[in-house]
Amino acid sequence: MSQHHSNNIQELYEGDQSKLYSGIMAHHTDINSTESKGQVKKIWRVFWILLVITVIEVIMGMFFSHNMPKALVNFFFLALTLLKAGYIVSVFMHLGDEFKNFLITMMIPLTLFIWFIIAFLADGGFWLHMNSHVRAGMH
Amino acid sequence: MSQAATATVNEEKLWGGGRSPFNVSYGKMMMWFFLMSDAFTFGALLISYGTTRFFSAAWPDANQVFRAFPFLGNNLPLLFVSLMTFILIMSSVTMVLAVHAGHYGDKKNVAKWMLWTIVGGIAFLACQAWEWTHMHGEIGSLWGAFTDVNTPISKYADFFSEKKTTAEALALHGRQAAHDFFNYFFTITGFHGGHVFSGVCFNIMILINTVNGTYERRGHYEMVEKIGLYWHFVDLVWVFVFTCFYLL
Repeated sequence: MSQHHSNNIQELYEGDQSKLYSGIMAHHTDINSTESKGQVKKIWRVFWILLVITVIEVIMGMFFSHNMPKALVNFFFLALTLLKAGYIVSVFMHLGDEFKNFLITMMIPLTLFIWFIIAFLADGGFWLHMNSHVRAGMH
Repeated sequence: MSQAATATVNEEKLWGGGRSPFNVSYGKMMMWFFLMSDAFTFGALLISYGTTRFFSAAWPDANQVFRAFPFLGNNLPLLFVSLMTFILIMSSVTMVLAVHAGHYGDKKNVAKWMLWTIVGGIAFLACQAWEWTHMHGEIGSLWGAFTDVNTPISKYADFFSEKKTTAEALALHGRQAAHDFFNYFFTITGFHGGHVFSGVCFNIMILINTVNGTYERRGHYEMVEKIGLYWHFVDLVWVFVFTCFYLL
């Protein structure tokens, strides 16, 4: 019963976690400092990079993708997509600023996607192959 | 880099208890784990779309399907969805600026950038509503339909990818492929739109708390950072949706 008499309701509900970690949240006071301005500059630089990549993708999709080998186009689009994803996760989501252990912990489960994509697309391709093959045999 | 280096040096201390070895709070780590599971949900949907596309002998060409722009006409492939992409990237930038202001405890700027993020989110949803309405007008339905059963499928040949679809495949599989394409399109963009919508709701809650001074009293703006992670993730998913549906 006694702990419910705390005057600091806020602390009771939120807990003071600040002693447990000292991430990028901590130790900043002046938003007009050089460090802060540098970070803002970096954010806008990434914005321009993302914008330029998107514009390149759209121009490719509008004018060139129909006259190029499909495999090359797909490779190009997927590479640019992963590049964009990398910038968003590492800079906007600050994963690049976290401890490396944390980054690895988050990345390892995602490697399942490698199997996931290859296995299922291969299955789809094989299904089409079998379907066309069997149908051709029936004629 | 310096943080990672410190981590290696003090590794024993880090795991000795009394502090977070990953230097993140419980809530933030759980947000990351949630986003990872959500990534698999979206991944499953998109890979399922890819599998269906791989096993179909015919497939619509997104550039031919989505080519309208409000007031500008009906032959502008990719333009409208580029605008949507731009809006979402922009709102991601305003979100990260809000998180940045939060790191410095700058209440005024957190509120300002959160407000812009909400505006961006609503603009994106409005664009999506227009796109869905337009598709509904053009194809007569959302899920399921695309082709009118009374019109021969060959009349729709323009909508199909020239490289993938032969006339024979169009006749045999065109209708089914169009159904599959639109089922996946509305399910996946709808699921993403649902995420944007809930993100806007969360952002509004965060804005209200910020303006009321809840985080100022708490001493940190970590909630802004956690919701920021969610919002960036929604942007991240859109990057993949954009590629899978409109580019590839």
